[in-house]
Order: sequence, then C-alpha cells, then structure tokens
Amino acid sequence: MKRSKWIWLVWAVVLLSYLVPYTLLSDVSRWYGSFLFWAVAGVAIIALNVFITTDFKEHSDD
Amino acid sequence: MTESLIWWSIAIYLLVAIGIAILSRQRPAKGGSESMSGYFLGNRQMNGFVSALSYSATTYSAFMMVGLAGLTYAGGVGAFGFEIIYFAGVSLVAVFGPKFWAVGKKFGYVTPSEMLSHRYHSKQVAMAVSIASCIFLIPYSAVQLAGVGYLLQGITDGAITFTTGVVLATVIAIFFSYIAGIRSVMWTDSLQAIMMIVASTLVAFLVIQNLGGFGALFDTLATEHPQSLTVPGPGLFSFVTFLGLTIPWFFFSLSNPQVSQRLFMPSSLRSMRHMLIGFLVFGFIYTLVSVLWGFSALAAFPSLERADLATPTLLASEFVPPVLGVIVMIGIMAAAVSTIDSIMLTLASMVSRDVYANLKPSVSEKRQLLVGKCVVPVIALMALAFAELQLDLIAVLSVAASSGLVAMVPALIGAFYWKRGTAAGALTSVVGTSAFVLLMYATGNSLLGLPAGVWGIVVASVLFVGVSLVTKPHQDSTDAFFAAIAEELGTQQRRTANDPATKQAAH
Repeated sequence: MKRSKWIWLVWAVVLLSYLVPYTLLSDVSRWYGSFLFWAVAGVAIIALNVFITTDFKEHSDD
Repeated sequence: MTESLIWWSIAIYLLVAIGIAILSRQRPAKGGSESMSGYFLGNRQMNGFVSALSYSATTYSAFMMVGLAGLTYAGGVGAFGFEIIYFAGVSLVAVFGPKFWAVGKKFGYVTPSEMLSHRYHSKQVAMAVSIASCIFLIPYSAVQLAGVGYLLQGITDGAITFTTGVVLATVIAIFFSYIAGIRSVMWTDSLQAIMMIVASTLVAFLVIQNLGGFGALFDTLATEHPQSLTVPGPGLFSFVTFLGLTIPWFFFSLSNPQVSQRLFMPSSLRSMRHMLIGFLVFGFIYTLVSVLWGFSALAAFPSLERADLATPTLLASEFVPPVLGVIVMIGIMAAAVSTIDSIMLTLASMVSRDVYANLKPSVSEKRQLLVGKCVVPVIALMALAFAELQLDLIAVLSVAASSGLVAMVPALIGAFYWKRGTAAGALTSVVGTSAFVLLMYATGNSLLGLPAGVWGIVVASVLFVGVSLVTKPHQDSTDAFFAAIAEELGTQQRRTANDPATKQAAH
C-alpha cells in the first residue's frame, strides 16, 4: 500500500473520536474513559503523520 | 505580584524579543526582504524548526490557556475531544502541504488566494477570498486583543489597565512585523512558543502536585464532578454542539490563510515535515496542559461565577509562585501577539497582492510591497479600534470566523483534486457561504436544529459543485496547474527512487 494512503487511517481515528466517547464511554466517568481515549487518539495521529511523511525528502532544484 | 515586577518582566521580554527580531534580518547580499516573497514568505527558505514553533504560536492564540481551560471547567472532557479533532485536522497538511508547496514554487504564489485565482483563472476569486478573510479575521484579532486587555487588567488587579494592555499588544505586533516581515514574526513566534509551553507546563505540574498528584486530581473529579469526565457531560457538549464546533476547526489548516500561507514557506519538503511533526508534538502537549489547567481549577475552585475565571483564579492562587505567574501572564500576551502579527501580515499580503494589484494591473512588485507595508498598521489600528469599541457586531464576526472561513475549503480541495471546478463555482461558494454563515449568526445560529458550523461546509460544497457543473472550467490554467504538481512532485519521486540509500532500504 502506498504510504500516502495511510491518511485514511487518520480519518478513521477522527471518526472514532466522534463515535466512541459519545457511545461506549459515555458512562465511564474515570480518567481511563474519554480522557484516555482522546489522549491515545492524539498520540496515534502523531505516529501516523510521522509514518506518512517519511518520504518527504530534500528537494534541491538548484 | 507587584507593579514593578510586572513592568520589569515586560521590559526584559521585549528586550529579548526585539534582539531576536533584529537578528532574524537577512543581509541584503542574500536577497533580504525587499520582494513580496522575501518579505511575506521569507524567500521560501524557512527551516523546519522555526517553522514548527511559529506555526504552533500562530495557531494557538490566547484562546488555549484562557478559553480551553475555561471550556474544560464548564464542559468537562468534551473540550479535550474538541481540540484533539482540530489537532487531527492538521494532518491535512500531510496531504495538501506538498501540493501547495509545489505550485507555490512553480508559479511564485505569495498568498493562497492568489493560487486560487490562478487555478480558476479569475481575479474575482482572489478578491473575494481576501475580502472575506479580512471580514472574519480582523474582528477575530480584535477579540484577541480585548482578551489580552482584560486578562492583564484582571491578573494585575488593574495595575495595567485594559487600554494599556490592548495598545501594548498592538504596538508589539506591529513592531515584530515591521523589523523583517515574516522572518522577524517567525523568529519572535519561536521565542513566544517556547515561553508559552514551558510556563504553562510548569504551572500545570505545580498545581497538580499541590492537588495531590494526577491520580488524586482525577479521583476528586470522579467523585465530586463525575460528569466532567464524560460527554455530553454537564451539558455543554451535546453531540450537535460538538459537531458544530469541531467541523470548522478540523479544516483550520486549510481555511485560515495565516496558516495555509505557511505551506509556501518551507525551504524543502523535509522542512515541511519537520514543521508538521514539530507542531503536532507541541500541540499535543499544549492541549493536554490547557485541559489539565481547567480540570485543576474545577477540582480546586468548583464554584467560580464564570468559567473564564478559571485561568486567572488558578494563576492568582497560592499554588503558583508570583514570578511564574508573571511569566505566564507574559506568555499569554505573547500567545495573542504571535497570532495577531501573523494574521496582520497575511491579510496585508492579500490586500496588496490580490486586491490592489488586481485593481491596478501592471503595478510593480516594489509598489505592491510598499502597499503591503502600509496596510499592516491599518489592519492593526482597525483591530485596536474594534477592541476598544467592544461592539456586539465584532464579537459576532469573531465567533463566526471559524465557520465563515470554511467557505474557502471546497474551492481549495477542488483546486487540487477536481479538474471540473470552475471560477463561478469557487466565487459563488466563497461569497454565498460567507453571507450564509453571517446570516445564521445574526438570526440565532440554528437551522433545522443544526448550527452554522455544520451547515457551512455543506452549503460551500453544494454551491461549489453545483455551480461548477453548470459552468465551464478554464482548461488551460487547469492543465498548467495539474502539470506543475506532477512535474514538481514527480521529479522528487524520481530523485527518491534514484537515491542509493532508498534503494538499499528497499532491498
């Protein structure tokens, strides 16, 4: 799979960030509920971006 | 905190910041700042580290430490979710960044609106985008300034009055822009970003320690304010409200010209990568810290009259030593200044490049730059006047800014992915959606139960696609635009493929 296609995984994380806290976690009033979920989503977004942009190389046109 | 401590701290901060701004100037031998792309884009030669810090400081205004903490105080963990979705939206840079960068380099664009105008072959598109950006972003800057005024007045107990605070922030913003254009803005932004993150993290750490640690803080919340740890929680973040807030902010990195213009500036794609990753790491920490401020205030001071008192109360509490309080105060002022000076500079480049130069064709580059430089203080003074006047209209325009700027998004996405997009489609989408959003806010911000934040992107997309389908695209400029992307990024892929290191890794 082309590296750039992994961006769809980012959009999937975004979708889950809407769905999970409003459904599965709406009754978990502890730190390991929505707070942890969104924190993990944030870390996942960083990791995915690091991976997707690995091919951004030096571009010298001069 | 005493008045002399405050003024001394401001003086030291200014001295360091001005020193950095002066050092950021390029020597004339290197081309200096005497062209539009030199002054407004740093000659497209900005390195990744400075770009990352500056992108962060520009994106995160004073809103975070005051507004997000307050939002968490009032609405609970939903505020964190809102910021995380915005934060995820910056991944759009990984998709659109290289394309922006490639066409910017090929055609010498200075502003995102100039890019749209060339792509759709229409001066009106550039003018409409520029004027809409001014309508939304000048009031947004004014509200930022007013925020600084109130905060300084509040924290210092009136030692710095509202007007002094507002005027001080405006003068500093103009000054940072003038020394070397975007270069001095980006270097001073970097200083401000470091100040913001260090000071706010220290405060969060100290306060949480004083409340018995992370575990104790969350135990208190779980027993005394259990709803603050869930959504919809205390009620502020119903799903519809959450959608209305997050959808416009998700597109922030494309819709707001002061950040999308940054995609033209990195010296290479590697620098762009550093900018993106650097921003994400910074943004994640800063978001977490601001949310923890809000939670700490809720645990320690549960009965505040208004949620936006959360930050001032925390800073004035015994948890935070006075010196750190002053540093945070300056950090918040710096956060506002770093957002405003970038907005001023971007709007000035748009007014001069996309409005003035289109109204007066064949005007020289030098003349455009002169006009741009004259527009900077005009925009600053308008923001200052609006901040002082405290008009209701300005507050409405400011709140409408994120929803209104979404008007540009379909035309921008279409520019890169839909050859069938037309000038009429782009123009109708930008003008129609801006007017629609303003009308929504003027009439209570609800249509069929949904806010402008949700409707904006729908209306903009329908107008762009619908009108494009019944009009004809300009074939030559469309082809040239797509060919340029393929050429610039294709050359790069060939280079990567020929790179021995890559070949080795592939085996």
